[in-house]
Amino acid sequence: MTTIAVARPGESKLKDLFKPGTVGKYTVKNRIKYGACCVSNYNGRDGTITPRELARVRVIAGTGCGMITNQGAYPDPWGEGKAYFRQVAIHDDKFLPQFEMIARYIHDAGAMAMQQILHAGRYGGIDLGYCIQPSVVPQTLPHFRPPREMTKEQIAVTVKQHADAAKRAIRAGFDATEITSFMGYLLANFNSRFTNQRTDEYGGSVQNRGRFMRELIDAIKQATPDNPLSVRLNGAELMDRWGGNTQDESFELMQQAVDCGVDMISVTVGWQEAPESSFGRDVAPGYWNFLSEKAKKMFPNVLVAFGNRLPDPAMADQCVRDNIFDYWEVCRPLLADPEMIHKAAEDRMEEVRPCIGSLNCLSRLFRDLPYTCTMNPMLGHEVEPEYHVTEATEKKRVMVIGAGPAGMEAAITARKRGHSVTVFDKADKIGGNLAAYAANDLARPADLQSVIDYYGVMAKKLGVEVRLNTEANAKFMRSVLHEYDACIVAAGARTDLESFKYMPGSELLIDALEVAHGMKTVGKRVVMIGGGMIGLTISEFLQKAGHEVTVVEKEKRVGGDIMPTFKWRHTAWVDELGIKTVCSAQLVKVTAEGATVATAKGGEQFIPCENVIVSSPRRANHDLFYEFQWMIDELHGGGDATVPRGLDAAIQEGYKLGVRI
Amino acid sequence: MNAIVEFGGFGEMADWQAMLDRNRELFAAMDEGSRIGIVSREASGILPGKHLEGVQRAAEVDMLAWQVQGGGMQAVVERFSGMAMAKVDLLLVADAEALAAARADLAGEALTTIKKSIRRGNIMFFVFRNKAQLQDAGYEDFLESLGLAFLGACR
Ligand SMILES: Cc1cc2nc3c(=O)[nH]c(=O)nc-3n(C[C@H](O)[C@H](O)[C@H](O)COP(=O)(O)OP(=O)(O)OC[C@H]3O[C@@H](n4cnc5c(N)ncnc54)[C@H](O)[C@@H]3O)c2cc1C
Ligand SMILES: Cc1cc2nc3c(=O)[nH]c(=O)nc-3n(C[C@H](O)[C@H](O)[C@H](O)COP(=O)(O)O)c2cc1C
Ligand code: SF4
Repeated sequence: MTTIAVARPGESKLKDLFKPGTVGKYTVKNRIKYGACCVSNYNGRDGTITPRELARVRVIAGTGCGMITNQGAYPDPWGEGKAYFRQVAIHDDKFLPQFEMIARYIHDAGAMAMQQILHAGRYGGIDLGYCIQPSVVPQTLPHFRPPREMTKEQIAVTVKQHADAAKRAIRAGFDATEITSFMGYLLANFNSRFTNQRTDEYGGSVQNRGRFMRELIDAIKQATPDNPLSVRLNGAELMDRWGGNTQDESFELMQQAVDCGVDMISVTVGWQEAPESSFGRDVAPGYWNFLSEKAKKMFPNVLVAFGNRLPDPAMADQCVRDNIFDYWEVCRPLLADPEMIHKAAEDRMEEVRPCIGSLNCLSRLFRDLPYTCTMNPMLGHEVEPEYHVTEATEKKRVMVIGAGPAGMEAAITARKRGHSVTVFDKADKIGGNLAAYAANDLARPADLQSVIDYYGVMAKKLGVEVRLNTEANAKFMRSVLHEYDACIVAAGARTDLESFKYMPGSELLIDALEVAHGMKTVGKRVVMIGGGMIGLTISEFLQKAGHEVTVVEKEKRVGGDIMPTFKWRHTAWVDELGIKTVCSAQLVKVTAEGATVATAKGGEQFIPCENVIVSSPRRANHDLFYEFQWMIDELHGGGDATVPRGLDAAIQEGYKLGVRI
Repeated sequence: MNAIVEFGGFGEMADWQAMLDRNRELFAAMDEGSRIGIVSREASGILPGKHLEGVQRAAEVDMLAWQVQGGGMQAVVERFSGMAMAKVDLLLVADAEALAAARADLAGEALTTIKKSIRRGNIMFFVFRNKAQLQDAGYEDFLESLGLAFLGACR
């Protein structure tokens, strides 16, 4: 009897994305490649793969991608190629058992297994006092090790190490290998005019600079002749202003790789040291597709993979159809929601937990921390049963105060476990302060709004009751006494206007949250007290809309509470928009004419304005904890209601409450 | 004592010194002996794409050094003869346009102008200490003010 596989509804819609492909001798079930975005920092300091990593890889294997690229492993025994504190190594057979397990997980999930070999070059030697490069060009970021120039003997050894690593990966059961120049690693260092200024046959012309790459390809191809090889190459380095490769040179290097017989070119964008964004929140989805299109036009007979900042399966499907690439190489969207491909296949895209491009994941790697995800609190905790959503033994009636991200996350997680959940919010819509953030964001408001939409969809789907326009207080609590077993206070934080109570003119102050929520309008000239994430976001929005904003910050610098990967963007906006900042200063008086601030130098400065908005300090709304403590069996709290922070903490804590309650 | 001397490309030292004095808070936490070098791109030959030769070369050019001395940041002009000899923690390589812009703003927001030039690519910079060393030496405020701490790295 033959069984006919029935296409799931989304697969019929996204036909080109879900059609099978071939890579070398392998058939791949769809056109989706899990990009090597799994350097996790979960492993041993010596590169040994840990149970935490294995549990994570199991999830990756199950994402539904036709091809899975396992995280970049460094190929040398000294760790010169090691970029991350707890990166995986592949320089010895002793690592084989765990690689075998990973290959098995991937095959068991019906995917093709590719192992990436990552020698970090200029960004390597993390445990050493040096790193190796084609030439000793110092780095431009204060994160890396002093460079040493590679001798020709070292080049030969390094090439052999890559070939040995590839052979080892294939022995472990992987089907294919990949080498990477992503973000400025060793391969990129040889290819680029910025870092390769050698005068021997490995430097100078593009042909010479590409020699190392050609030797790598030849050596790996000879070592593993039956297995496909993918090379990740920059379509644009974004380093040309400092003497890096032009786009034309980048594509000339791709041509060399193609001529050497690689099976797949994976097109990437940017270096870590590049002075502009390649895939942050401010880059629009699909922005870089033109690079892939160019590669596909130039190399019609070689497979092209691409996905940089392309989070949408429908766009990817269109790209495959339009011959912009053969394989959608997707990474962060699958960190945020490992079920995304399945949801796309089932035409349930509205249930996808969106990646908002916050880059919390990568920025943690550069602080030698394991990666986590703003949107996916489970990421990195797969090995811990405590983090899994399991059926609750005792089904409870749970009330959640606050429909912001912390409350909604707690509500849907608790509901998945079988509790009955009601969310109360005094506002007329869900989203809490995230809605205000989205309304003022200059980067990608739609991404932030998509998080709120996701919570709305999931609450409805799971049967979480949401009661809006309902303020929870002691009186309200008395009216629902004994109706609930547990209460989660996720009431967020407020602007602490009380701290200005005794200041002359305090009655003229305007709450930043009211401005952010569109409840108050302000005049042309505005002073914003507080240059943190809330103050800056609103100031940028106002300034762009034609107001003249002066930000007054009591610390030495603005942006102190902003995620490092996005702080630069705010400081750039402040400059570009011409927002004035007065740091190390405190508000002392407000009149109808303006604000007077005390400066660090001991003097006072008068800033004329129509309105003074206060965004800082913030105070947690934890009054309800005191009011409710004798009124309900279990009382919990999370998000800004415990300590005012940001989106990450709100979602993580909401989830943790949901899985534990 | 700040002699008023005209050096090729850098202008008057007294103006640089006044700018550094105005921004003394930025340098307040820095260790004695911390040094930042500025050289002209054209004079040094540290040209984009050929910067290594320039960074290493022995041929001497003027370098404007900002160094912490006697509790304050001092501007001095020295000879630059390659990065090994320069003994700086950071080296800024400014093209003629960036130098002129910085000079023009010495009485105003020169550091903001320098920051913008770095972003535009008119100033290349190299770092000779790692992050922990720079933090320990009290560089945090200065690096943040130039936006160097956040340039690049996963955006
Ligand atoms: C303009 C702006 C910019 C921001 N920028 C960033 C940023 O760059 N990065 C970042 O991480 N975060 C940022 N944030 C902060 C982020 O939005 C919050 O940290 C996050 O929303 C906190 O989530 P939460 O669920 O804990 O609380 P909230 O989102 O504040 O939700 C609390 C909810 O509780 C409700 N509520 C309060 N009291 C009661 C009551 N008694 N009864 C019923 N309902 C009640 C409120 O109406 C609200 O809906 C920004 C916020 C704003 C306003
Ligand atoms: C946490 C993380 C780890 C990554 N590790 C690697 C890696 O090991 N090798 C590599 O070539 N690229 C790596 N990348 C880059 C991704 O493969 C991908 O090119 C990039 O994230 C852009 O695609 P996206 O927009 O789908 O995330 C990593 C990215 C992230 C976010
Ligand atoms: S941390 Fe941010 S950028 Fe990274 S996967 Fe999660 S949502 Fe996306």
